[in-house]
Amino acid sequence: MSDPRATGSARYAEDFELPGMLHARIVRSLFPHARVVRVDASAVPESCIVLTPDDVRDLSPYGCQIEDQNVLAERARHVGDPVAAVAAPTPEQAEEAVPLVEIDYEQLPAVFDAVEAAQPGAPLLHETAAAGGAAAYFAMRPQPGTNICHRFRIRHGDVDAGFAEADAIVERMYRIAGAQHAHMEPHACVAHWDGNRLELWTGTQTPFSMRDDLATIFGIPPEAIRIVSLPMGGSFGAKTFVRTEAIAAALARKAQRPVKLVLPRSEEWQTLNRHPATVTVKLGARADGTLVASQTTCYADTGAYADCGPGVAQKMGFAAPGPYRIPNVRVDAYCVYTNLAPNGAFRGYGQMQSTWARERALDTLAEQLGLDPVELRLRNIVRDGDVYCTGETLHDVRFAECLEAAAAAVRWSEGRRGKGIALVMKGMQTPSRAAIAIERDGDDYVLRCATTEMGQGAKRALSLEAARLLGVDVARIRFPDPDTSLVPYDTRTTSSRSTYMMSRALAEAVRDPRGYGEIRNEGGLDPDTGQGIASTHWHQGAAAADVEVDEETGKVTVTHLHTTTYAGRVVNRLGAELQTEGSMIMGLGTALFEEVAFEDGQVINANLSDYATPSFADVPTRFTYELIEEDGADVHGLGETALPPVPPAVGNAVASLGIEVDELPLKPETVLAAMKVRV
Amino acid sequence: MKLRVRINGADHELEARTDESILDVVRRELGLLSVRETCGIGVCGACTVLLDGEPVSGCLLLAPLADGREITTVEGLGGDDPVQQAFSDAHAFQCGYCTPGMILTAKRLLEETPQLTEDDVRAAMSGNLCRCGSYVKIVEAVLQAANA
Ligand code: FES
Ligand code: FES
Repeated sequence: MSDPRATGSARYAEDFELPGMLHARIVRSLFPHARVVRVDASAVPESCIVLTPDDVRDLSPYGCQIEDQNVLAERARHVGDPVAAVAAPTPEQAEEAVPLVEIDYEQLPAVFDAVEAAQPGAPLLHETAAAGGAAAYFAMRPQPGTNICHRFRIRHGDVDAGFAEADAIVERMYRIAGAQHAHMEPHACVAHWDGNRLELWTGTQTPFSMRDDLATIFGIPPEAIRIVSLPMGGSFGAKTFVRTEAIAAALARKAQRPVKLVLPRSEEWQTLNRHPATVTVKLGARADGTLVASQTTCYADTGAYADCGPGVAQKMGFAAPGPYRIPNVRVDAYCVYTNLAPNGAFRGYGQMQSTWARERALDTLAEQLGLDPVELRLRNIVRDGDVYCTGETLHDVRFAECLEAAAAAVRWSEGRRGKGIALVMKGMQTPSRAAIAIERDGDDYVLRCATTEMGQGAKRALSLEAARLLGVDVARIRFPDPDTSLVPYDTRTTSSRSTYMMSRALAEAVRDPRGYGEIRNEGGLDPDTGQGIASTHWHQGAAAADVEVDEETGKVTVTHLHTTTYAGRVVNRLGAELQTEGSMIMGLGTALFEEVAFEDGQVINANLSDYATPSFADVPTRFTYELIEEDGADVHGLGETALPPVPPAVGNAVASLGIEVDELPLKPETVLAAMKVRV
Repeated sequence: MKLRVRINGADHELEARTDESILDVVRRELGLLSVRETCGIGVCGACTVLLDGEPVSGCLLLAPLADGREITTVEGLGGDDPVQQAFSDAHAFQCGYCTPGMILTAKRLLEETPQLTEDDVRAAMSGNLCRCGSYVKIVEAVLQAANA
């Protein structure tokens, strides 16, 4: 018999139903920044429940890192900000009710660019740049009186002295467009109150953060909330923290009935995108290519609410210097509010943006020094036991191997015209905690843990690992959907941490007589100096691309794409391959055409025709990759590593033809413009 | 309206509105949940059904247009179909949300063109999107089914 995904019997959050449930729709702001002066729902039929700001005044603001968001906005801060909501017996009735809710607004000045928004005098989104909420897992550095909700710095050595020693200096500004996750299954949840207990079935990567945030919002103890994370039809970071769940729960509270909320496709662009960023990189080297100083300034546009933007900016910052020995490093990363839809976690989490900037700058530097870009990288590459600019020692370092393998794959030594290469050094959620309990049920073993399934194959990987450790057939391992009332606490299924962290917790649980295992990775960085432990475990990889550019249209065709990733010990081979292929293909979308386009703060391509995602036709004819394996080594998460190096490998390949593009995506217009000033 | 339609080999008379899509009707009336909506505008193929054997976008097919015709969803293939088997064997999915649409499109392609190259598969299936990026293994699965 075929896999449930092939027979059509697979079920997703979207398919979940409860008897008597209502169907919800959100009424959204039409303006990027406006005070809501009046909500009039008198035209809505009696059969519908309408949720207005009056109904949620007893609810607390929320946010996974900064509590700056309300369940409904009385001051809308982006086009699409939820202002009211309706629930009706059928989805059609709910849809019809939306335009019947009349809202009067008083418009306020808005700002749509992070660099502009960070300047003094810009319209402020949140009067008090909120102090870090209880949910934050690192110290926040909001800059009072500005839209900067977090500032992160690395101070290592003396960059001014470093640049003074340099024979060559490159300084450039790079821009990276926002992107939409475009997971094929929309956000979907069902909320239900049983007295004062809230039950919620939803597709989420973060069941425990969700539970804790909802406890804050509704002012009830976390134990009074049960979150069941159902399988997701893709997520890529979008189904994290509170998205639609608070509105569904507030509607269910008012309706005294279960409420289901499924986002219409166009509203995905109003719910969460990837941070657009502006990253300025300055690199200095001696004539022989030895790097002496690196300075990076990042502006991460987090949109109207912080969400996990402070974490994204911090990672963008600490990954910026990259896997190179550099004695003098300075990083300033800012997470900035603007009147765009919120931006949040996206496969590669901040590191894609700074990897693009740094790896492009290195090639420009190589060009200036007259050095081969691979040579320049190898001359400076970190080796086992080196100390990173955060002060942490790096172990099990394989960057040189990844780089050399990727170069060989595109036959670098036979000529490098049309070819490009890039490295990625990607952190993993630190600090974090993972726990698992193994229960016996007859002959079967039941895994109780909060690791969620979004197609990345975590269930399969952990089941295989459990079978191996327990010495039983994998058919005897059961892995029910995570339910916070039944599983031990886990930080979240993000940053490619779950296979690594949870497989270690699993090993503990197998050894433990009660079948319980728990693992913590300790660390964290001082936000003012960037010193500490950024990541207890680094993901390492390289990409290489071979491209052709159409001289007339500016269209870039990638004829060969290759990645080499350090995989450590591979638990689930098929899963590792699929995740790598998927990351590479998503990386190509980011490299070549994916871009959330705005006009006056309004997304103008909020559909899957105008916002294209890669199709069969976009997979390069030569599409290769290798996973460097090591028996007995740590398990390395592979969910994202092959994404961030793809755009700069493509960008560097285009640059090798004399076409220097500093902006992502490398769409034909951008490439054509760069061809006019060809070097 | 009353919609008379043969679905997965059985005749049905279903309650439907004239302005709704067959996607909504088969999900609601028959619980055929393998037919899924992603884009809603005919570009992704997640909602693919076979209409008299031809793949069409269920999100665009208005219910009245299916009246008197035959519809197949992936549930109707039974589970042991060689294409389903090939997708399982090649592990040609991650989240699996796009898989039913991929399988139905591939099914028709294999009937029409038993001798397939990699390029044929890519070209013929380019109207089906997989955001997880399982394309390489999907092509493998279709070629495997062609040679089965
Ligand atoms: S949902 Fe019908 S083609 Fe995308
Ligand atoms: S497997 Fe997830 S969309 Fe194709």
